[in-house]
Amino acid sequence: MAVKVGIPRGMYFYKYYPFIKTFLTELGAEVVPSPETTREILDKGVLYCIDDACLPVKVFHGHAYTLRDKVDFILIPRLTSISKSEYICPKFGGLPEMVKYSVPDLPPLVDTEINLIKNQKGLAKALYKMAFLLKFKNPLLIGRSINTAIRAHNNFMAAVHEGNTPDCVIASVPRRQYKSKIRIGLVGHPYLLYDNFTNMDLIKKLRSRGAEITTPDMIDPHIINELCMELPKRMFWSSGKSLIGSALFIMDRRSFDGLLLLSAFGCGVDSLAGEYIEKQARMYYKKPYMVLNIDEHTGDASFNTRIEAFFDLLNRRNSDAANLSAHGRSIYSS
Amino acid sequence: MQLTYPHMGEAYIAVKSLLDDVGVKSIIPAFTTSSTLKLGSSISPETICLPYKIMLGNYINSIKAGADSILITGSCGPCRFGYYGPLQRQALRDAGYKDIDIIILDPPREGYKKFYEALKKVAGGQHSKILPAFMNAYKVCCEVDSLNELVYFIRPRAVNKAKIRTIVNEFKKNVINTKGSVQMLELINETKNLIRKIDIDNSLNPIRIGIIGEIYTVIEPFTNLNAEERLGELGAEVHRSLTVRDWVRNTVILPATGRKGFKLEKKLSRPYLPTLIGGHSQECIGHAVHYANLGYDGLVQIYPMTCMPEIVSRSILPQVEKDYGIPILYLIVDEHTGEAGYQTRLEAFVDYIENNKPASCPQARNGRKHATFNTGLPH
Repeated sequence: MAVKVGIPRGMYFYKYYPFIKTFLTELGAEVVPSPETTREILDKGVLYCIDDACLPVKVFHGHAYTLRDKVDFILIPRLTSISKSEYICPKFGGLPEMVKYSVPDLPPLVDTEINLIKNQKGLAKALYKMAFLLKFKNPLLIGRSINTAIRAHNNFMAAVHEGNTPDCVIASVPRRQYKSKIRIGLVGHPYLLYDNFTNMDLIKKLRSRGAEITTPDMIDPHIINELCMELPKRMFWSSGKSLIGSALFIMDRRSFDGLLLLSAFGCGVDSLAGEYIEKQARMYYKKPYMVLNIDEHTGDASFNTRIEAFFDLLNRRNSDAANLSAHGRSIYSS
Repeated sequence: MQLTYPHMGEAYIAVKSLLDDVGVKSIIPAFTTSSTLKLGSSISPETICLPYKIMLGNYINSIKAGADSILITGSCGPCRFGYYGPLQRQALRDAGYKDIDIIILDPPREGYKKFYEALKKVAGGQHSKILPAFMNAYKVCCEVDSLNELVYFIRPRAVNKAKIRTIVNEFKKNVINTKGSVQMLELINETKNLIRKIDIDNSLNPIRIGIIGEIYTVIEPFTNLNAEERLGELGAEVHRSLTVRDWVRNTVILPATGRKGFKLEKKLSRPYLPTLIGGHSQECIGHAVHYANLGYDGLVQIYPMTCMPEIVSRSILPQVEKDYGIPILYLIVDEHTGEAGYQTRLEAFVDYIENNKPASCPQARNGRKHATFNTGLPH
């Protein structure tokens, strides 16, 4: 019988699931992702995780708990770094330990370290190690699986760049054409943007109001890198970089009407990146900008009110603001 | 140029003697109080960590006293500290302090030229003096540490606890008027002699508590609401895991001479957290294990709210607690300055340890695992 490997639907699931799924299936393992976040999963996460961790870490604990009696192994790789001389966030590096020592009765964890801080070669090495841990010893098969997985990842990225959200791509829901009146940028970490329970169906709510959404994953990483060059100091978090780069990209373009930042309470990266984006938005770009902070609360009434107010602002600007100033120069375009 | 620098516990003593030796005019910022914190947090992002807010408050206090340049260290590790400099520069500019120069000493591997130029700026043409001045400042750091250790030993045993507090405060007052490392070392020695003369009760066998956690909150007495002093006055002998000297030794001197810092801590924390994840989280776990091995009776972990590396070590420490049978009190500090709840928690913790410690055999920690709450009154 094939070995069952569980993958919790949290943290960078919506970034690397197609990659790791293809890799493990090609090797001959059975991949079991945890179900989408529900109330019970969140409650379990809050119960087992320490109090002052951020929301995505708590949700991740809940997912690990749900998988605990369904699989032989749980895959929680230690993502120290995913691009050269950049870290993600200290919590990613300590995630296997956080889960191991907090959630009881877990099956063995596969906690291979993926550290590309020096160069890209570390990835293949880490994947070989991961396969050996799962008792797959054929190096040829592993090499072939890595290649297939990279191809699958590239296809996934291409689909996302076309404008489909990663959660739809993973669930193989084709991209639907929405009648869009407004185009807004929605910036945030993938584990907040695409987890439709914790963000209270934000994307659906925005789309039902006729907005077309662009998230950081849909923007070319090269553009993001280039825009981050103008930062006063090298940004050493890839997560913060994608936030700042995509926010600058969105604010630079006239075709976007506004910018929304989705952030979790207590997120360390957001506290710096959000501050930088806000300063830039206030100083140079006169574009509507709002921060949505989410926590464990699940009542969405006030959340809806804020979104409504944001849309009112956008609509009135589009219909009532005259884009002509006394100087003969448009004051509202960037 | 009037140079200033943020407060970090006793760091100002060493930095002052360093700058005095080099011959740079400097201003010690006013000691951190709740008004400093208010000043800093009024122009800080909401959820940033506590040290950022306090440092910003320190700067503004110094600028009001006449400083025009600020010296801080930087890093490019995964902790937020590395990005303090650029953001604080921006925040000061927005708050109306326009021509303030922030000199950031990033680690040399980020660019040797940048590092050298920053040093040149600080020294102002006196850079031949930097190295000897640095070594003397390090000596001051060592002496400050040994002074602190003396205080830790004397405080729980002192008959008159107010006396030691007076001496320590007097010392802080005199530091400001001292110039150069030679005078500073003299002052420290005098203070030590004064402390040695205090009457102590040698029959006492106080419990021993180690303080671990995030370096800034461990070192800076304002942020942890004087936890060391409080514990000492409750009758516990404390030890601080991280000091300015440890930081300088392990992150500046050892790497600069081709060795690795925090070797012991990294070795001890390997079973729990095998890789570096940023901040001092590996060191925190290493210290916890080290204190447990040394036979300490309890540990206090202190860290600012939303500190990313310490959240990881906080979730690992319960396992250390189980494995070594050493109780740990977790204190998360933030902008709150109410002392009552804090005092109660420390008192309860000290009571818990004293009650669970077998009176006849103070060193036997194994017996404590089976002891219950009602083994007798303290002392």
